[in-house]
Amino acid sequence: MLDTKSTGSKIRNTVIHIIVIGLGLACLLPMINIVAISFSGSAAVSANRVGLLPVDFTALAYKRIIEDSQFWRSFRISVIRVALTLVLNLVITVPMAYAMTRSKGDFPARNIYMNLLIFAMLFNGGMIPTYIVVKNLNLLNSIWALILPGAVPVFSVILLMNFFKGVPKALEEAAIIDGASQFQVLLQIMVPCAKPSIATVSLFSIVGSWNDFFGGLIYMQRVEDYPIMTYIQSLNIDLQELVKNAANSAALENVAELSNRNLNAAKIVVAVIPLLIIYPFLQRYLISGLVMGSVKE
Amino acid sequence: MRKTFLKKAAAVTLAMSTVLSMTACGGSDSGSTKKESAPAAAPGERDTVTITMGRQTTANPKFPEGDNYEDNAYIRMVEQELNVDIVDQFEANNGDDYNRQVSLALSAGSLPDIMKVASKDELTELYENELIADLTDVYENYASDYIKSIYDSFDGRALADVTYDGRLMAIPATASDAGPGMFWVRSDWADTLGLTIDADGDRCITLDEVKEITQAFIDGNPEKVSKMVGMSFDPSLTATSSDNANMINTIAYTLGAYPRHWYENENGEIVYGSTTDEMKQALSLVRDWYQEGIIDEQLGTRTWDDITSLLVNGECGVLFGSWHVADWLLNNVYTLNNKAEFEPYVVVNSEGKVNCTHYKATGEYVVVSAAFEHPEIAIQILNLIYDDMVNSAELLEKYPEVDSYLREGVDGTARPYNIEVKSSTYLLSEYQELKAALDGDAAKEDISSAEERTNYDAIKAYEGGNGEVTGWCKIHSRCKGVDMLTYLNDNDMYHWITPIYPQTTTTMKTNWANLQTLEAESFIKIVTGTDDLDESFNTFVSSWKSQGGDTIASEIKEQTGKQ
Repeated sequence: MLDTKSTGSKIRNTVIHIIVIGLGLACLLPMINIVAISFSGSAAVSANRVGLLPVDFTALAYKRIIEDSQFWRSFRISVIRVALTLVLNLVITVPMAYAMTRSKGDFPARNIYMNLLIFAMLFNGGMIPTYIVVKNLNLLNSIWALILPGAVPVFSVILLMNFFKGVPKALEEAAIIDGASQFQVLLQIMVPCAKPSIATVSLFSIVGSWNDFFGGLIYMQRVEDYPIMTYIQSLNIDLQELVKNAANSAALENVAELSNRNLNAAKIVVAVIPLLIIYPFLQRYLISGLVMGSVKE
Repeated sequence: MRKTFLKKAAAVTLAMSTVLSMTACGGSDSGSTKKESAPAAAPGERDTVTITMGRQTTANPKFPEGDNYEDNAYIRMVEQELNVDIVDQFEANNGDDYNRQVSLALSAGSLPDIMKVASKDELTELYENELIADLTDVYENYASDYIKSIYDSFDGRALADVTYDGRLMAIPATASDAGPGMFWVRSDWADTLGLTIDADGDRCITLDEVKEITQAFIDGNPEKVSKMVGMSFDPSLTATSSDNANMINTIAYTLGAYPRHWYENENGEIVYGSTTDEMKQALSLVRDWYQEGIIDEQLGTRTWDDITSLLVNGECGVLFGSWHVADWLLNNVYTLNNKAEFEPYVVVNSEGKVNCTHYKATGEYVVVSAAFEHPEIAIQILNLIYDDMVNSAELLEKYPEVDSYLREGVDGTARPYNIEVKSSTYLLSEYQELKAALDGDAAKEDISSAEERTNYDAIKAYEGGNGEVTGWCKIHSRCKGVDMLTYLNDNDMYHWITPIYPQTTTTMKTNWANLQTLEAESFIKIVTGTDDLDESFNTFVSSWKSQGGDTIASEIKEQTGKQ
């Protein structure tokens, strides 16, 4: 293999490190900038004076968030939504993926279901038909409108399937010979083996439903019912666009107060915190989960 | 990337399904719009009517704790006075979000009883598919004299906009003229540098003086910054209204060019202002200034926020903007630099007049569903909010919480209709009252508008030395900005152009976005480039015309011919 002591590889390693560190900084610096902006005075922000450290340090923006009752209401809605979505997704995808990895002898209609799944992954009903379905099920303005349309993430099913296929057949056969039922095989053999990929799938589910703003925009007809990302999106109005559209003076004043970039930055920071907390716990699984799923026997 | 795609996909699906579903609804609903309006019972004598509404909201409404759009002081007053129950079928922020909800309601076939629509195109579609009620009779019978007088102050332009085949199909919002884009100058700098602006005191300057002032600021560098920028503009350069900030509109207007406006020229032809010879002159002037360094050398890449920071950091001391620009843009300058003072001037044409375009009198509408049994309630709400609430002290005594809403400046979007219905000269008359009170000729209580009473307090407190930014802003926007509008009006200094505000034509639907991009890109290239001016402008005009401009012009001609 490579001789790590040779000058050539040293140079190569240094170059690779520089590139990787550069990429890392490119991801990190904008976030630090947002945090700095959120702690700066609004005039300093509008003067573009804030870099990586806050200027005119103030926590006023955070104080205003704490006082904003709608923010917390939306925050709570999002937390509930994420929890429900996660449970529902796992309850559906894990058994589904297990069933789909059974042999054709055990599950004759497997290919039909597989094709249906792939079809559903590639094509969807489009916004208006989906909206009408949700409306006619009387789900509008209910939290289920944000959960049920995404209850079966096909991509996650396929990811889990690939992982289940990688579990040695012998394990499963041994369990069956010992008298285990299919459910026992699933719960006691497959699920413990599949922890990394279940963590991966969970992370997708959490991040996806936390970050989704469009569903809230369509299915929630009142601002009070908006999940957090929809609420933040609705606050982020572009003053310039409004000026170009010749809005009246009162509307401009109102938005100028809001487009207060440090307040927006603070909202972004607060909204990202839950993901930042969850991510480190799942990250180690995420890497191994993706890799292990990719290697098949 | 994904977001843009989603947005585009959503827009396309929406557009298609709206069209499809509307054609489908058209048949079944036909005839219902022609329903005779029988004399309706007084609110107290009938059962409570439930009204479903589509409400356009804003992101920062400042409700008192516990109140929201569906349940606030205005709504409670309307519900009690008119014996109705208002239920919001949907609420969404202005812009795409709201329009999407309207389209979704349309395609799902469940129109609310009363809703706002934000474009004439939507209104026309609703009318053509017979989904909205004819309000001619209820307006005639129920609208108060005051409301009628407001609409009449627009010389018929407001009501004509919502009249189809002689029938009134919507309640229009009113939009008063915005006035010219003024030239705002850091007057504290002028004092420091000993610069005399407008020596004859007529508040008017010429384009040459604009250039001189800017040059003087560049040379003087009053705040000793590392690099002065003369004046800066937004990369799109021109805008759709007379008074937009950070645009070259004022320069163009002064030279007789009205970019992004359709109007009839002396020969009776319909022209698009951006393609005229005058526009070429305007671009030529801006280009000269750019080459001489009067205009920001980073023009084209400087964003709106960047320009704000130039002003805040004292690198730039002049800008073009509306009378209210101090309220939401220049306030940043004052916050960081309490010595900053601005003074507005108007730029006059060669005849000493101020060229200005009339704003379109409406633009937003409230429509009533054809299926709604009580269209008269729509007018009664109009009376209550835009007449009684403004003019009747007894009403406010009866509803003290409404009075406190008005005083505390809860956003107007909280009212059942998020539209303004004010006379064409409301700004000037409100300012007159404010000025009288400030000058001591009248008492604060004589000011009829709640907003101006708040402004009065802010200005008085600022004059008393509290240094608050609100007072500074209001002095600039009212005592300088609106004062200028009053001055122009009183001295008859306007040269008005009445543009045509066309409905979206067939070719506009397909080509307009491209034409707008072509225009913006060509203009910035002409100004910052070194190519021959005549040649590049002519290239722009000919490609603009061949890419649909000519077709659109003839379509608009047809449209106006029909009306």
